[in-house]
Amino acid sequence: MGIYPPPLEKLIEQFSRLPGIGQKSAARIALYVLKSDRELAENLASALVEVKDQIRLCSVCFNLTDNDPCSICRDQSRANGVLCIVEGPGELLAIEESGVFKGRYHVLHGVLSPLEGIGPEDLKISELFQRIEPEGIKEIILATNPTAEGEATASFLAKSLAEKGLKITRIALGIPMGGDLKYMDSLTLQHALKSRIPLQS
Amino acid sequence: MSRPDPIISPAIITRVKEFGESDLLVTFFTRESGLQKGVAKGARRSLKRFVNCLDAFCLASLEYTPKKQRDLCFIHSGKLLEAHQGLRSEYGSFSRASFIVELAETLFPPGVSDPRVFDLLKDSLKALSDEGGNILIPITFEARAMAIGGYRINLEKCCICGRAYKGEGRAVFVREKGGISCLGCRQESALSPGMEPESIRALRQMQDNDLGQLKGLDLSGGCLKEIKNVLKLHREYRLEKRLKTAKFLD
Repeated sequence: MGIYPPPLEKLIEQFSRLPGIGQKSAARIALYVLKSDRELAENLASALVEVKDQIRLCSVCFNLTDNDPCSICRDQSRANGVLCIVEGPGELLAIEESGVFKGRYHVLHGVLSPLEGIGPEDLKISELFQRIEPEGIKEIILATNPTAEGEATASFLAKSLAEKGLKITRIALGIPMGGDLKYMDSLTLQHALKSRIPLQS
Repeated sequence: MSRPDPIISPAIITRVKEFGESDLLVTFFTRESGLQKGVAKGARRSLKRFVNCLDAFCLASLEYTPKKQRDLCFIHSGKLLEAHQGLRSEYGSFSRASFIVELAETLFPPGVSDPRVFDLLKDSLKALSDEGGNILIPITFEARAMAIGGYRINLEKCCICGRAYKGEGRAVFVREKGGISCLGCRQESALSPGMEPESIRALRQMQDNDLGQLKGLDLSGGCLKEIKNVLKLHREYRLEKRLKTAKFLD
């Protein structure tokens, strides 16, 4: 038997099932919820149920949405023919927030990871291939993360898409803004020097 | 009780998982202590302490404080030594690297260390990165790692009648005995496949030698197929499980 009353124990147990939340953090959050107004608990509960009921995947790009197709796929002002491939909805959101990309997206929902048992058939790769002809895709931007898995996924896609006659590009890799050359590793510097661009006068 | 002094050691990173807001949970091999798990605090945001060194299959110099009993060790900083770029740019090599890492983790879990495995893993990842198309690398790794781990296939004599194998004529692999037998003692079948003398010689070399000593090894397609099949049967019988990564090998 736990040290807290059963309903509180149950709440702590549910919070501790969330990623990155251990027993102590779960207890702290549960005690905070208990101490707060009833309104907070009600809003939290209804938000959790709502998100499970209403959020689904867009049938075109596989982004999270409450309306199918999602607002990006419905947006007529966005450029057709350029598809940016991202690992997940979080990466899509980061690019959207930057405001620099005005094309379409395709969300893979993961990266190739044999160690985790994830192969090409576990990602939205066949769905990507099905979009190319009907949507008249001319360019694919591979925007997976520069991790070993992300790079391997980008290489796999580049190779698989090669015979489609598309322009395939990879987001630039190199020194991050605010970084310090002194602390950079050889691979990052190698990428940065290889991908250098001429400065226009 | 005083905290142990930090150690600086070359480490092969095998797995990296996001942990909380900005930390990483890192699994790595070192030569001295084998497989370990540690937390790298703030690693996802670090532009100085962990620049691009905590990524799967990288060889990095890690500064860490060893764990007290069952705790995770604490990783202070790291420096990339070898990124193995070739593994990232070719999915086949990436899958093969994943296989050898999973096999090493299974054969040598935390607390079971052998410096030879670290060297074997390091050399195999480098070879895969440099010459990714070489399908011999995961096979030679498997044969050698199983032998180091105590699962060496006995290729010296018939495991049933005890007669010495002189390197002439076909033999049969007997998985429950972990060795070969003469054709008189066991018939060939799907679970007891036959092996040519060339395959037996090559497998013996793979079990006994490091990767560097196998440079000149040239095997026919049939021989390679026999060895692969025998190693698969042997691995699944001895480890009592199928590796997740094995299905991505072909």
